[in-house]
Amino acid sequence: MSKPLSRVLATPQGVVLITVLVFALVLSIINPAFFSVATLIDLLRNSLVTGIFALGVMMVLASGGIDVSCTAIGAFAMYATMKIVLGVDIDLPIFAFFALSALIGAMLGLFNGLLIGILGLPTLIVTLGTLSLYRGVLLTFLGTTYITAVPREIIAFSRKVLVRMENAAGQMVSLPYSFLVLVGVAAVVAILINFTLFGRKIYAIGGSEEAAERIGIRIKRVKVMIYVLAGAIAGLAGMTHVTLSRMANPFDLVGMELNVIAAVVLGGARITGGYGTVTGTLLGVFVITMINTTLLMAGVPSYWQKVVIGGLIIVGTGLPIVIERLSRHRERISRSLSA
Amino acid sequence: MTFNFKKMALGAALGAALLGSAVAISNAQDAKHTIVTVVKLSGIAWFNRMEEGVKQYAADTGQNASQVGPASADAALQVQMIEDLIAKKVDAITVVPNSPEALEPVLAKALGQGIKVVGHEASSLKNVTYDVEAFDNAAYGEHLMEALAKAMGGEGEYAVFVGNLSAKTHNEWVDAAIAYQKAKYPKMKLVADKIESTEQQQVAYQKTKELLRTYPNLKGIQGSAGEDVVGAALAVEEAGLTGKVSIVGTSLVSVSGPYLESGEINMISFWDPAKAGIAMNKVAAMAIEGKEITDGMDLGVEGYNKVRLNGKVIYGQAWVDVTKDNMGEYKF
Repeated sequence: MSKPLSRVLATPQGVVLITVLVFALVLSIINPAFFSVATLIDLLRNSLVTGIFALGVMMVLASGGIDVSCTAIGAFAMYATMKIVLGVDIDLPIFAFFALSALIGAMLGLFNGLLIGILGLPTLIVTLGTLSLYRGVLLTFLGTTYITAVPREIIAFSRKVLVRMENAAGQMVSLPYSFLVLVGVAAVVAILINFTLFGRKIYAIGGSEEAAERIGIRIKRVKVMIYVLAGAIAGLAGMTHVTLSRMANPFDLVGMELNVIAAVVLGGARITGGYGTVTGTLLGVFVITMINTTLLMAGVPSYWQKVVIGGLIIVGTGLPIVIERLSRHRERISRSLSA
Repeated sequence: MTFNFKKMALGAALGAALLGSAVAISNAQDAKHTIVTVVKLSGIAWFNRMEEGVKQYAADTGQNASQVGPASADAALQVQMIEDLIAKKVDAITVVPNSPEALEPVLAKALGQGIKVVGHEASSLKNVTYDVEAFDNAAYGEHLMEALAKAMGGEGEYAVFVGNLSAKTHNEWVDAAIAYQKAKYPKMKLVADKIESTEQQQVAYQKTKELLRTYPNLKGIQGSAGEDVVGAALAVEEAGLTGKVSIVGTSLVSVSGPYLESGEINMISFWDPAKAGIAMNKVAAMAIEGKEITDGMDLGVEGYNKVRLNGKVIYGQAWVDVTKDNMGEYKF
């Protein structure tokens, strides 16, 4: 294996990037209509909700935790927001919808954070529990009916587009304003984890909790903050979902969490903590979306999408580890030879 | 969306049981039968609509028919309710079970005490006098395909959605539809394998976009889950193809109403729970009075005018087609 190639394959992002390129190439050979700006716009639009969720989950993973409850928080926040707004019956700007949804999400995230940070319970157990809890409370107390008569601010917002163009087949393709939510969340998360002390603390805790505590980081407080933030982001994802689908369905979103986590992991974050970047995560989301929606174009049956994603997770996260081990092994051998 | 045959069947069974006990007390012909319908879950639009049917039946016939249902879709709660009804010695119980298997023992007990049991959405139930199904799945699938073929002018490319590849009912609908198309509309062409929406509107939306891009000449889409047609409609609207792509499928007005109105969806079908409620009660009353249901019989309820009998299972042709023109009649 040549040096540059092995270096690219040594990181999950590298594997993912190569997969994207190979995938796009194969698809465009099978179906030339694939290789176009219109396809790119569609893919971006389809990765919006997963992308927003993933950015929150990435922070949690970087801190050494895992959050499977994000989709339940998103569903709860968006449905509760719709109920409240329709209940009070006053005209609110679209911004208020998002703010309210984020606030509700933050409160649910706070509950996660308190259980995890203050009580020190395992993150997987807590979020598995709250995934079921939030969804149960939503369906039991808030309702099980679809809200199809959404406020006109939402319809108006969902009709606003950043880019609109015709694809080769003469169909309209558009990138909605909701794309800005993803851009905004990505920017905020990037600044937070790269340029603030809080961000460094996240990685420090993810790297080694004990070491972080010894250098004086107040772990409990940071952890609570992380889950509050992840909750707020999940709330934004939920509301974005409403603007895209123009209806609020309380059964939606839950079930996506494994896809979200798969995207984050493919993007280079490690389950063991300490790693994770915004660009990597977005790349991971893009790949997952691409596989989920475009295999159809290549005439691949639905079941195969699961096979491909599973394989990609194992190769994408496993290959870098194997390469790292091999190079360490080689190093050891050469060292003993020179000695 | 999957409608639950089972819950309805339980209700039917309860109703039948109520009828049965009334007979024991007085003369079969002019006695008032007590029939209780036990549904999966009370308070949701679907079963509220069924209750309207039960009430109408009571008003029309003077029978003592009523509907009950648990506050959550829980089989154990249904078992308790049926136990109570057995203790009250109702004549018949009509039931729409949450889980047919879970109800078998208690329904066997009801039958053992001479209570008639009529099921709905539960063709697998063994301990019933009869089971009423709105329609035969294959016939329904063919019906949807006929509507799609009409909308497409009998030719062109089409695709089909199922909620889940493992959903038995959806696959039965779609398989029958495809077979029907091949036999009757050879100029139509299925472009891809069955597509899975996971019963989510956004998934149906994304896959429809993919379909439209891959098969730019696509002219028709048949949905199975209630969300399928809605997701497909949104994709068609955004692509500016309203009127060029026909969409038909199973859904409810409360879910797909906006797109029926704006014209992306040509037609949706479902069955009317009110009619199913009446049919169950009628069957229950007949069972109490010792009348047999026969193949080809007219139950006197719209959609159940020429029922097909298969063992204990009674099939109607009770699908309801809703277009832009009659959507106002269905508020669920």
